[in-house]
Amino acid sequence: MDCPVCKNEPMIVLELNEVEIDYCLSCKGIWLDAGELELLLGSSTETVEFLNSFTSDDITKEKTHKCPICNKKMEKILVIGNRKVRIDKCKYNHGIWFDSGELEDILGMRKLDNKNKVLTLLNDMLGKKIKE
Amino acid sequence: MVGFIVAIAILMIIVLSLIGIYNGLIRLRNQVKNAWSQIDVQLKRRHDLIPNLVETAKGYMKHEQDTLKGITEARSKAMGAGSVGDKAKAESELNGAMSKFFLVVENYPDLKANSNFLAVQEELTSTENKIAFARQSYNDQVLFFNNKIQMFPSNVIAGMFNFKENEFFEIEDEAERAVPKVNFS
Amino acid sequence: MWELIRANKRKSLFLFFVMGICLLVLGFFIGGAYAGDDGGFIGLFVAFGIWILMSMISYFRGDSIILMMSRAKKVSYNVHPQLFNVVEEMKLAANLPVMPDIYIIPEEAPNAFAVGKKPEYCAIAVTAGLLERLNRDELQGVIAHEMSHILNRDVLFMTFSGVLLGSIVFLSHVFLRSMWFSGGGSRFRSKSSKGGGQLQLILIVVALIMAILAPLMARLLYLAISRKREYLADASAVRLTRYPEGLACALEKISLNNYEMKTANKATAALYIANPLKPKGMKLSNLTSTHPPMDERIRILRNISHGANFIDYQNAFTSIKGKQNIIPSSGIRERKKINIRTSTAASTQTKSTKKSTRDLGDLMRAVNKYMFLSCACGLKMKLPPNFKKDKISCPRCGRENHVPIAELAAMSGMIAIDEKNDSIQNNEQVKQDSFVYNRTGKGWETFSCRCGSPKQLSPAFNKASFVCNKCGRKIEIKGP
Ligand SMILES: [Zn+2]
Ligand SMILES: [Zn+2]
Ligand SMILES: [Zn+2]
Ligand SMILES: [Zn+2]
Repeated sequence: MDCPVCKNEPMIVLELNEVEIDYCLSCKGIWLDAGELELLLGSSTETVEFLNSFTSDDITKEKTHKCPICNKKMEKILVIGNRKVRIDKCKYNHGIWFDSGELEDILGMRKLDNKNKVLTLLNDMLGKKIKE
Repeated sequence: MVGFIVAIAILMIIVLSLIGIYNGLIRLRNQVKNAWSQIDVQLKRRHDLIPNLVETAKGYMKHEQDTLKGITEARSKAMGAGSVGDKAKAESELNGAMSKFFLVVENYPDLKANSNFLAVQEELTSTENKIAFARQSYNDQVLFFNNKIQMFPSNVIAGMFNFKENEFFEIEDEAERAVPKVNFS
Repeated sequence: MWELIRANKRKSLFLFFVMGICLLVLGFFIGGAYAGDDGGFIGLFVAFGIWILMSMISYFRGDSIILMMSRAKKVSYNVHPQLFNVVEEMKLAANLPVMPDIYIIPEEAPNAFAVGKKPEYCAIAVTAGLLERLNRDELQGVIAHEMSHILNRDVLFMTFSGVLLGSIVFLSHVFLRSMWFSGGGSRFRSKSSKGGGQLQLILIVVALIMAILAPLMARLLYLAISRKREYLADASAVRLTRYPEGLACALEKISLNNYEMKTANKATAALYIANPLKPKGMKLSNLTSTHPPMDERIRILRNISHGANFIDYQNAFTSIKGKQNIIPSSGIRERKKINIRTSTAASTQTKSTKKSTRDLGDLMRAVNKYMFLSCACGLKMKLPPNFKKDKISCPRCGRENHVPIAELAAMSGMIAIDEKNDSIQNNEQVKQDSFVYNRTGKGWETFSCRCGSPKQLSPAFNKASFVCNKCGRKIEIKGP
């Protein structure tokens, strides 16, 4: 699977403590296959609510990317918290693309992550200093 | 003239079918032999696997050196055994040592979780199965071969060329098979 | 068992012949409908030609076409040792002359099939989902079922009769279409109005009836045979494994699956152990399914009580489905008592869904030739086959990891080297200060011996120790 942003750049899979992400070494973006987000966060009501709140954002001028699985254009999803984060989601539900830092931002601002366990693990995985 | 040709033709058919039956018997006998050799191959494979098992277990089972030594000794005995009788006895001793070992393993959860150990364990389970299945297949082949030898018309050829019935490997019954079973649970 | 195969072959040949006649008769009448008396023989000839051509293709390229269509990938031993072991066990039990090629289909739906025109040249394909769900005994049951198809020459017969069926369907389809477009055959009538119009008309009517009926007949025949073959393969699997419960549990697990196979289609469906296509409507399923109902197969297997011979399967079958001979009489005649064995599979601890999702993913990646690296910090990296750099810096700890691309290419050779280093035989070389390396995962790992010479462990390396070929030091490998 190649990175949707860098093209022709194969993504690698990282696994730590049974958490698995597809990761691009050059742009540091993260791809989560369909169902991986649920696996990551557990099926709490907050998660389900979060996933159901996805509405496509057609007005944005941000560059669209192609789904690494079906190669069709992905749609932009606006996630609003204390900041606005725009993520790319495959229309045919193959997965979600997060640019570098976006997944961490979302985990930080929407209280999806019980005691920041996932965020801590993610930061650990990618060698980032854990913010206390 | 016509009668002569017909006679020749009939003779030819008879000779050809006799050759066919003979070749069939030879093929069957080779299959029996092959099935028998498979048993030996698998027994040898088990001997080859045991050092791996002992090596893996050594580090974890500091207090079970006797059990491990027992296996190693039973193995070298089985490998050195000459006659069929000695061999059978040595193999069953080895089986005993192995069962004892796998009983003891239950007390070492770390060893049971070790991936090397799991790999050797899978190989050993499979080798035990292969021995059992090779015996089973040998018996199937022998049954078929013996039936052929007894039945007309192949019994005529078998008598002429001195094909002998083969013996079954009787260990196939349940009670005996239960002994070498490695209990990985 | 071996007499059974011969009886089976004879019966197959007969049914095959009947279907062939069906095709030729259809060709004759269609030809007749087009061009009168002579046309019949032209039609016959064309139908025969189509059949021969398609049979040739399926005989010489059938296996590879089917394997390609199902996206099955040929795998080596280290991708799934247990699968290879189980196949070898069944190969021994069936006294097969060679080891079948082993393929894994990277799909989540549990299923399996076998291809091969003869036992000397055959392959078994299973899905990743099947391997992930079944325990050892269950896998053995499935493999034994597939092995039976190979032994009974079912695969060859099923592909050939499948091709025949395809030819019949194709011919009638083309004919009916042409009739439709030419306005009910007026074209033929006008063309042959000079003479024999009466005969022509009769031929057209017969051809029409044939074109509608022949595919249905052939299909029913084909389905009936393929279903009978499934029962027979189940019976043979019990005979081989001596453990009906293994196959019963496997079929139960397979029938609980909700995934549809993306790579299966109508042409290949009959080959699988369980129908890979979800039934659209259930009403006609008994007549139109290539497979007997799953719960029936399971019930028959669970009803086997006395022993594991064919007669025992037939008895169980009779007690559930009523009097119907499923096993050729030569199989029934074999009265030798064969005992059912007890379970040998380890009591498997149920894995968490997360763990089994990971394992399934890793298996699919291994099939797709991913490389598995474990960094010393504990992070696992899985590199796709198009990853071409020979170094990767760990995103977690920044360590440089060597990517064994060249070694991977020479992997088979390298494992052989590993295995030659038998630690017992090299005892006298062992130096006193043995070196212990702790493995962090099951993937490729690089480290250096105390003498400095680099060592690399392949995923298949499972020895507890080996001897450094530079300094003779014993290197102990401890698991993660
Ligand atoms: Zn990128
Ligand atoms: Zn997509
Ligand atoms: Zn089948
Ligand atoms: Zn690292």
